[in-house]
Amino acid sequence: MRPLDWVVLIGSLLFIVLYGLWRGRGSDTVSKYLLAGKTMPWYAMGLSIMATQASAITFISTTGQSYVDGMRFIQFYFGLPLAMIIISATAAPIFHRAKVYTAYEYLEQRFDAKTRALVSVIFLIQRGLAVGVALYAPAIVLTVILGWPDTVSTMLMGSLVVLYTTIGGIKAVTWTDFQQMLIMMLGLFAALFMAVWMLPADIGFTDALKIAGAAGRINPVVLHFDWQDRYNIWSGLIGGMFLALAYFGCDQSQVQRYLTGRSIAQSRLSLLFNAVAKIPMQFFILLTGAIVFVFYTFEPPPMVFHHQELKKIQALGPEYDSVAARYDQAFAARRDAARGLLSGEAPARYQAANLEMEAARKAGARLVERANGAPGFNDTNYIFLTFVTRYLPAGVVGLIMAAIFAAAMSTISAEVNSLATVSVIDIYKRHWRAGASDRHYLMASRAATVFWGMYAVVTAQYGKNLGSLIEAVNMLGSLFYGGLLGVFVLAFYFPRVGGTAAFLAVLCGEAAIFSARFLTKIPFLWYNVIGCVVVVAAGVGLSRARRQG
Amino acid sequence: MTPQPEEPPPILGTWRRLYTAVGVYLVALITLFYFFGRTYTK
Repeated sequence: MRPLDWVVLIGSLLFIVLYGLWRGRGSDTVSKYLLAGKTMPWYAMGLSIMATQASAITFISTTGQSYVDGMRFIQFYFGLPLAMIIISATAAPIFHRAKVYTAYEYLEQRFDAKTRALVSVIFLIQRGLAVGVALYAPAIVLTVILGWPDTVSTMLMGSLVVLYTTIGGIKAVTWTDFQQMLIMMLGLFAALFMAVWMLPADIGFTDALKIAGAAGRINPVVLHFDWQDRYNIWSGLIGGMFLALAYFGCDQSQVQRYLTGRSIAQSRLSLLFNAVAKIPMQFFILLTGAIVFVFYTFEPPPMVFHHQELKKIQALGPEYDSVAARYDQAFAARRDAARGLLSGEAPARYQAANLEMEAARKAGARLVERANGAPGFNDTNYIFLTFVTRYLPAGVVGLIMAAIFAAAMSTISAEVNSLATVSVIDIYKRHWRAGASDRHYLMASRAATVFWGMYAVVTAQYGKNLGSLIEAVNMLGSLFYGGLLGVFVLAFYFPRVGGTAAFLAVLCGEAAIFSARFLTKIPFLWYNVIGCVVVVAAGVGLSRARRQG
Repeated sequence: MTPQPEEPPPILGTWRRLYTAVGVYLVALITLFYFFGRTYTK
């Protein structure tokens, strides 16, 4: 990072925090603090929803994913617009009319206190696990790329988030999300523009797409269905829709965004804005990864993008030298074959050269695994930031770093804010101290925000000792979403199902998901479908059995 | 008490039409991506 990059990064962070504090002023009642007094316009909620979903690790790893696997990851989002339509038509008006602070508060109106408590605790466990990772995951990447201790990144991001979230509440969170999303978009387009700009002078944009396409990187739609394949149009439309329904319809970190709308129409518009904008945004992120792949067709890429691991294997001597020689040879052959492809040659030579390049890269990864004595080495998250820090000019690097910080902070602030809301409204106020003054609950909400912010920073410090934490937490999240979605489907569409049946149905749904996880090889995207279907079937069945009994 | 009339969306007149437009947009986007992939994948 050069001085100009620091100016851009620090300036952006300062602006975000000061702007958040300014917009969050006057949050002096619980309603204003947790729901912005229901005054938010659709565009602020819409960008806040997008910013909350786009975490830093998504920003960093999606580009790497495209570099390694192509653009097919986009299909993961195909079900999102369908989910947004369903939520706009059902959940958004129901939550608004119920005049609730949390989605789980509605469950008590519809079912009973125990169902609300069960679902609130599930949310606190799931989000509580995720918030530390949302903070830690970008920190480990920034540590390797920038050479900072990970504690500096986590403390910096955590304390800035706690500052404006605690003082300004959801108004500060939403308006900073708005700014953070704009910085992310600016960073994204700067990265894409620079990736195209940095290509050799004789390689145009269309040539780059031809090269990426021949290497299998331009594959946004895969029609072939396979249970084991995570990303095809069917898993995207069906599994992705259920996941989006659960995330945007039942997860308080998202529901709270559109509960702040000044009317049902404003909330609906914010959701439909996401339905329209999310897929193109992901498309451009993935396209950036594909163009970075083409850039590295003409510029030698490091054999291993994690430079600390690369240094480790370079010390191995002859073993490394032979793999490195193979890698260099494969790079030269692929570069020549790419030029041949553009001059009209059949793609077979280029594709064979690309396969050899990938095999040489895998040989490098195996060296790392052997050096560490641990399998499963993956450097996908380091690809994009290596490109950014090595090749992009001063100022642009700072802007992209600011975009990554913004992505992390927008997710963490929403999570901390929603965790505090559920802790105070669904647990503290409902089961611990009912009937206190508005000022008391406002102070409790602020204290809960500080608590969850500190909790995120502390758990992020322990992240490094827990190995593949990200994978574990993603898996844990998917273990609970199906159950949450199922109970809300029962609440909205099955008026004859009562509280006890719903409560037991959630437990049945969770048992089914855990069985799918531990007894089958079904990919996690399908757990939401399984959980939801089992909860609904069990809820209806139990309800009918009770009536007949 | 009669329920309040639903506030219409700023475009297309009714929410049902707006939802249909979003659905059509999704189909168009997937079709576009499909042909984009086919054009550049050999």
